[in-house]
Amino acid sequence: MAPPRPPTGPILFLPLVFLFLFTTAAASAAAPEDEKFTEELLLRPLPDRKALAHFHFRSSAPPAASVGRHHHLFPKAISQLVKKYHISELELSFTQGRWNYEQWGGFDPMSTNNAKPPGVELWAVFDLPLSEIDATWKNLTHTLSGLFCASINFLESSTAFSAPRWGFKLNEGNLRYGALPREAVCTENLTPWLKLLPCRDKAGIASLLYRPSIYKGYYHSQKLKLRSSQSLGIILDQTLTVVLQPNNVHGEQLHSNHGQLQPNWSMRHLFNRKLSGKCLVSKSSRVFIEVDKGIADEVNISGSVHSWSNEFFVLSNSPDKLIKGQNHLEMQSSFLYVYDASNYSEEQPLDLGITWKLPLIWTCTPSPFHASRFLMGSGNERGSIALSFMSTNLHKKISGSANDCSIKAVIFQVVPWYVKVYYHSLEIFIDGSRKTVSEVVDKIHVIPSEDKLLPGTLEMLLRFPCSMQSGTLTLDFDKGFLHIDEYPPDANQGFDIPSALVSFPEFSSARSYPEIDPVLGSPLLENFQEDSVVKSYTEVLLVPLTTPDFSMPYNVITFTCTVLALYFGSLLNALRRRIGEEERELKKRATRHGLISRLLAKLRGQKVDPSESGSSFESTGSKKLLFKVVFVAVAAVLFHYFSNNS
Amino acid sequence: MAFGRRSPGSSRHPPALTIVTALLLASLYFAAAAAALSPTDAMHNNNWAVLVCTSRFWFNYRHMANTLSLYRTVKRLGIPDERIILMLADDMACNPRNSYPAQVFNNENHQLNLYGDNVEVDYRGYEVTVENFLRVLTGRHESAVPRSKRLLSDEGSHILLYMTGHGGDEFLKFQDSEELQSHDLADAVKQMKEKHRFKELLIMVDTCQAATLFSQLQSPGVLAIGSSMKGENSYSHHLDSDVGVSVVDRFTYYTLAFFEKLNMYSNASLNSLFTSYNPSMLLSTAYYRMDLYERPLNEVPVTNFFGSVMKTLHTDSAYTGFLAAHDNETPMSTGDNLDDHFMLKGRAIARRSTIEKEAQLTPHGWTEVLAEQLEGKNTDTVVMYGLGAMGILLALSTWLSM
Repeated sequence: MAPPRPPTGPILFLPLVFLFLFTTAAASAAAPEDEKFTEELLLRPLPDRKALAHFHFRSSAPPAASVGRHHHLFPKAISQLVKKYHISELELSFTQGRWNYEQWGGFDPMSTNNAKPPGVELWAVFDLPLSEIDATWKNLTHTLSGLFCASINFLESSTAFSAPRWGFKLNEGNLRYGALPREAVCTENLTPWLKLLPCRDKAGIASLLYRPSIYKGYYHSQKLKLRSSQSLGIILDQTLTVVLQPNNVHGEQLHSNHGQLQPNWSMRHLFNRKLSGKCLVSKSSRVFIEVDKGIADEVNISGSVHSWSNEFFVLSNSPDKLIKGQNHLEMQSSFLYVYDASNYSEEQPLDLGITWKLPLIWTCTPSPFHASRFLMGSGNERGSIALSFMSTNLHKKISGSANDCSIKAVIFQVVPWYVKVYYHSLEIFIDGSRKTVSEVVDKIHVIPSEDKLLPGTLEMLLRFPCSMQSGTLTLDFDKGFLHIDEYPPDANQGFDIPSALVSFPEFSSARSYPEIDPVLGSPLLENFQEDSVVKSYTEVLLVPLTTPDFSMPYNVITFTCTVLALYFGSLLNALRRRIGEEERELKKRATRHGLISRLLAKLRGQKVDPSESGSSFESTGSKKLLFKVVFVAVAAVLFHYFSNNS
Repeated sequence: MAFGRRSPGSSRHPPALTIVTALLLASLYFAAAAAALSPTDAMHNNNWAVLVCTSRFWFNYRHMANTLSLYRTVKRLGIPDERIILMLADDMACNPRNSYPAQVFNNENHQLNLYGDNVEVDYRGYEVTVENFLRVLTGRHESAVPRSKRLLSDEGSHILLYMTGHGGDEFLKFQDSEELQSHDLADAVKQMKEKHRFKELLIMVDTCQAATLFSQLQSPGVLAIGSSMKGENSYSHHLDSDVGVSVVDRFTYYTLAFFEKLNMYSNASLNSLFTSYNPSMLLSTAYYRMDLYERPLNEVPVTNFFGSVMKTLHTDSAYTGFLAAHDNETPMSTGDNLDDHFMLKGRAIARRSTIEKEAQLTPHGWTEVLAEQLEGKNTDTVVMYGLGAMGILLALSTWLSM
């Protein structure tokens, strides 16, 4: 830092001095707030003998003004996107499979933040005037579809997205939400996602992402979350959550089936790879093994780092640290064993795993109600959607046995326009008895669907009594008709209604880590500490719609043409044919012919001739009659058909 | 930038121009048009590939494997991902029926995973429609469509267009619900030619009766290869019992067999590719349409279409080398400019005259009356009345004939 010289020299030096001044100033300003990248991986055994892996990568860029358009670690594509479309928040997820809320938990940050509906889900909050948002959303979907090799651009039409006000996330009308439940998720979506990382999948934790083993899993959800503001800059969180079945040696599997022993697994089992060091540009690179409350209670981990080897399980490596987690009620919830990936290298790779010694059964904390959605009714005309809530009796565990309390639940559901829901037909049953709507519904906001313009959106705040064991909501709907060009190629498969979101605003899934020192700076744990309500997505519904016979137009064309050809052909024949002339011609020919023909004529003529004249007269008469009948019939059919069609 | 070869035709231009300026404007237009059509207008300077799999559903696995095999080949031979438009009508790699998730094979030995770590699919699933296909070819997109989904070729581009799926006499099915007709294809190619979107185009089609798809092509610079003649089927090569379906078609299999031996620098000609197809192995007769193509096929290396091999100009230093190249080019480029100028002028005049002609043609008495009639009423009611009138006419004529 040289002190600025007073510009005593010739005028030529002036720009140089300024340049120098500027560069030093820029350097000093950027120094405290550099672009940062961290990579983390969390592994957790699940009660149903599976393993969960959660990858978390965070890239952050300081506020744009200080660095201009240049980026060192942060992906340029994303920063351009944020600037061009004035995004203040965005989340895009690609998911295959369904999160199993009963087995894998419904009350922890993992399920509330990373369990996503199947297919693609996209929502964005724009920092724009309300009138410009829809157009920006359209351009955004196209850009994302180019960036992530997916058909996200199908969300551009107004029939595909909605603008929820409070049911999804509280906003001032600048949020747009869209979901494509049937979008396929595969390697081509993961690759561009990985290309946003500074080390791609070549080094560090991302190198574990061996495609065939990831896509073999029961559930995988790849998410990209963006937050941007003037003060924060841009924060990009990329997470990948996978639930895998550890592929064990065959013998072990058999044995464990008998003894209810959990399967042993390690990174090599799960991903076919070992971790060889960190991505060199990352600020921190950590691997966590999370042990659930259920296990922790059984095993009685005393909080010392040495508990990694106990009578129930052994971890393959000794951890660097142990972190205790608490849920929002200050109750002990889980333990995290921390490993620093920078201690490992190519020669000494980390193959973190867990080996079980004794069988152990535990359960994950569920959400207050287990929500599921199904269709009722039969036929192609109408049906109804039912949402059912089954109590998990969580409130008893938390707040004792007070039965006069109530639990709030928010439902957010988007229904495509061709499923015409009658919102007045809402019926609510609690423990089998019917309740009036006003008893249960506190607040409701409905945007009814418009044909080929708007999807129906339902936001509803319900208040269930704590003692409720089961509750059901039903809504009737009519099935609409699409234009023949609007049917997808596989229309007979049915049409999807995207997942509904059920959230419980009184319950927070946030964890707290009291012993953690803030210097540790783990974005993954920071995300877990964020206050977020417990939520769960319901199933995607498959509604069979009436599909037309797609070959119908061709059939009609061929049928009509045949009829017309028959009619005009015979008409022409009747008009132009001269029967008398033909007979004369025949007679002339008969007289001219030789002996054989004359003999033949004699044979035929003597028998046929007397009847011929009469029958021919009769036949022409009946032909005319037949003609009239056919003509009238055809004219009637045609007129009827065309008038029906129009 | 044409520094090198000039065709004998274009070398005749300077004297021809002096005559042409003295002649009528119409004849100038024709001369200019002829010059525009000569293939040496622009040097070949980039390569593009449009690879299309048009079949949906799991049992059409082999069509996706075909397309991905070609994708791998052209990538290996040097066409980068941003110059490949890959259209896949269904998701086979992560299909629940696929016992090898995120992998696609074109051979039962499973040596080669075609769906490697770096596949960029530009159009997939429901996006693969005839409309989108024609939009890609002709470049008529909505403004929001990202660059990665566009064919941004120019007059110096060599384009490989590969299509596979189920076809028939003069059509190719898209997703089992739409058809691309040979007229549509020919029309799109004609538009591309007029918009200077390619210099040379190789169309390769692996379907049943593939040859019929080329019957309407008229644009110069187009070369077409089809897997079978009219009335012939194209068959699959073999079945993989682990995957459960056929994994590759015969025509593509033998095309790949030809390319596996090659690398970026090999000089194999298109002719050697064409002669490598053996009808007894294909179980169909490969068809080549070359009457629109001018260069002799045994002089054209396959990497002109299936790869991207750029000629590098060696210069001692960037600056002087550039100057030298520029000097070489100057006299010719002025000639080109002059030529272009006349071309443009002639074309503009011709366009104006056609517009005038159209303007003279349109005001016909009865069409106006009809238009007026249609304006007020609903079209459907007019049609209904017409039908009714036809019925009455027919009834009268029948009555009179009796």
